[in-house]
Amino acid sequence: MTATSKNQPQYFRVVIEAPIERVWEALTQRDQVLPFFFNSVLHTTSLAPGAPVRMRSPNGKFTGVVGEVLELEPPFKYSHTFKFTNLDDPICVVEYELKSIEGGTEFTLVVRDAPAGTKTEKYMLSGGKMIVAALKHWVEKGRPSFTSRLIGFVNALSSPFTPRKCRSENWPLDKKIK
Amino acid sequence: MDPLDLVFQALAHPIRRAILDLLKRRPGLCINDIAEQFDVSRIAVLKHLRVLEECQLIIVKKSGRKRAVFFNVVPIQAIYDRWTTEYSAFWAEQALDLKAQLEASIHGPGPDKQIQKSSS
Repeated sequence: MTATSKNQPQYFRVVIEAPIERVWEALTQRDQVLPFFFNSVLHTTSLAPGAPVRMRSPNGKFTGVVGEVLELEPPFKYSHTFKFTNLDDPICVVEYELKSIEGGTEFTLVVRDAPAGTKTEKYMLSGGKMIVAALKHWVEKGRPSFTSRLIGFVNALSSPFTPRKCRSENWPLDKKIK
Repeated sequence: MDPLDLVFQALAHPIRRAILDLLKRRPGLCINDIAEQFDVSRIAVLKHLRVLEECQLIIVKKSGRKRAVFFNVVPIQAIYDRWTTEYSAFWAEQALDLKAQLEASIHGPGPDKQIQKSSS
């Protein structure tokens, strides 16, 4: 990685053939399994700026991603800080931008400040393209893609091996994420 | 036109593929910096960028007076998803790794391969 690429944002854009409200609703759905987000459940008190964000396993036992809401502009923009609970890397920022266009919604996922040369950076790059592709499939077809289903299955199998530090009791909603 | 037609058309030109190589390595380059890297006119590079933008292989963001350009991998991922399965993806990757290793042992690593390996 060159020094110039260190803090450059990464963009993942796709056109979803659905109205913007429908995409927004799918993206911000709470307390329900999100097939496009590696079958996590978005757990929080609200989506207002400053509110905590926790991406939990379907049974609530484990928390994979933590952060805090930065911006909320329904149905156009939503952003939050982002940290993997199993890694000690610095936090980065994830933004979701929605734009109504002819034939559907232009959906862009932006990853900002991914720490260069870390596992977080690597996971964000492969995760970004999977999330936009799986969200498109979920919204357009109304069912999870094959990859989403496969990930759900693998997650269920590997949960006994999830590190202790990912247990949800270690990540209460009032814990500050640095 | 089918969005997929636009993507394949865009990828059919060597300069446009070279622009994507460059942007993958150096995200956020501005248009002038991109134009400097190629032995064709600035107008020609602008035309190539427009083709790439139309099929969303690149995203152009205004920042002040400059326009920063980013590679968007999603259209290529869509092609990949369409023709591979979990099983074929695994074995195709093994085959490509073997090809790269054997070729590197004969010719030394190619410039593109080096970039790919260091960033993956």
